[in-house]
Amino acid sequence: MKRVSLEGLRVRFGKVQALDGVDLSLGAGEITLLAGPNGSGKSTLIDILLGLTRAKAGRLLVDGERRRVDASFKKQVGYLPEAVAFSDTLTAAAVLRFFARARGVSKRRIPDLLERVGLGAAARRRVSGFSRGMRQRLGLAVAILAEPSLLILDEPTGGLDQEGLEVLLEVMAEWRAAGRIILMASHDLTLFEHRVDHLCLLSAGKVVAEGTPDVLRARANVPVEVRLRMADALAAGALQRDLDGWGPLRSMQIDAGTLVARVDPAALLDFMDRHAAGRADVESVRVVEPGLDRVYQALLAEGGP
Amino acid sequence: MTRLFYAVVLHELRERMRDKWVIVVGVIFAALAAAVSLYGRTAEADAAALSGPSLVTLCSLFVPLVALILGHDAIVGERQRNTLGLLLSMPIGRAGLVLSKFVGRALALTVSIILGLGSAILASAEAEREVIAALVGPTWLLGAAFLAMGVAASTLTRRQIAAASVAVFVWFGLVFFYDLGLLAALVATDGGLSPDTVAKLVFGNPAGLYRVEMMTRFAGPELFENLGMQLALPSATTRGAIWAAWIGGPLLLGCGALLARRSQR
Repeated sequence: MKRVSLEGLRVRFGKVQALDGVDLSLGAGEITLLAGPNGSGKSTLIDILLGLTRAKAGRLLVDGERRRVDASFKKQVGYLPEAVAFSDTLTAAAVLRFFARARGVSKRRIPDLLERVGLGAAARRRVSGFSRGMRQRLGLAVAILAEPSLLILDEPTGGLDQEGLEVLLEVMAEWRAAGRIILMASHDLTLFEHRVDHLCLLSAGKVVAEGTPDVLRARANVPVEVRLRMADALAAGALQRDLDGWGPLRSMQIDAGTLVARVDPAALLDFMDRHAAGRADVESVRVVEPGLDRVYQALLAEGGP
Repeated sequence: MTRLFYAVVLHELRERMRDKWVIVVGVIFAALAAAVSLYGRTAEADAAALSGPSLVTLCSLFVPLVALILGHDAIVGERQRNTLGLLLSMPIGRAGLVLSKFVGRALALTVSIILGLGSAILASAEAEREVIAALVGPTWLLGAAFLAMGVAASTLTRRQIAAASVAVFVWFGLVFFYDLGLLAALVATDGGLSPDTVAKLVFGNPAGLYRVEMMTRFAGPELFENLGMQLALPSATTRGAIWAAWIGGPLLLGCGALLARRSQR
């Protein structure tokens, strides 16, 4: 499986148009992040790939060929549901034994897999004694058990502690390096900012924006923050007066001797040339790129209903 | 599909055998069944007339309860644990999941029935053993019908507590109040209901069919005549059809309910 594409998906639940002509393309060796407010259609989109919801219109293409979400497709899919719990009467190893039997995977993989997600010592413990994060890690082990070509993670960070997060990020990096496809729905944009290759932003069942984080950052045109540490308050005031009225400047303020200016990204180089380079009273300059969360907010505001 | 089906069956069997409520009710059932047998043994009466009918009454109370406990969380439990989508994301259809869960839990029910009636057999006099062993098959049918109803309730509800409430309602309704309701109808109509209608209403309830079938087997058809009732057992084919309808009907309803849902969250 090298590319999975969804084209023209439409799903309606009663009066609610859950998906309205959604296109999405997932490539091998890529992590795609689905983002959007609650009710935007992320879960519905995932459900279609899992065969849990039927679309009224649209099609699924795998490597360019039209496919159904049938048994052979499902065999290649691994899934981590949001806040997965599992039966309280089972041990971690028993949960994995069931899924190994169901998926036709050797049970010999189970100890290594439990070690991989940091549950080696808890293999014989009942799930009833597990924290939410431990259950989520067990869910991750279930999702990767059969080494699927398409790994779908629905809000995977819920309840995970720092160690759990590191395990999750390592697994995602391994999966990407192995040329597999990862689709993830998450509200945690800051955490995944530098770890995703593709971002698809949904709102009210429509794709508002999609592309690499850099492309979306450019499209959102969110101001870049430039922090200039000035020699003294007088110098900061002088620079503030120089900048006043300059077109690409969105806002500025002085904070303990540091002038914080927010400028249009396209005008950043111009700003540096004019106001930072060669000024003796500028002690240091720091450029802070807008976070993906701010890009997300800007794009949502631009394309929202 | 087949491998997955069997994996779910085996998983369900193992998990249900660890369910504390199934264990508690199963143990009470086994203890009471053994006590009934011991009483029959010490009374030295005709087993068919004493232990058999007593065990029928016991089974008609406990087996539906065990079956409903076994069945009520089959699907709704997975939904509440967020694992229903995970199971259905594997190559098993919705109907396949309902059926595999039913089969696995039916095996657990079989174990409960065999343990219960087995303990009665062990505690009974040798002459009674054959009589008690003859209860196993019909008792399983009774349990399977209530298990199917429990599984159906688990597909129709979105919360486990709601499914448990439906199960309790079904148990009280069909095991206790159905016959009382029938008596009330007879009194209210002042005998206006024809014997044929009464018989149809009795046999329309799996617990009623089981009781009449077993009582007829142990005490003979004259038992009901002596009680002033005209309850002729329907033919074996009709009885088979009634059992098939009570087992298959709720399962079809359950499969249909799961298939009809647009989303499985």
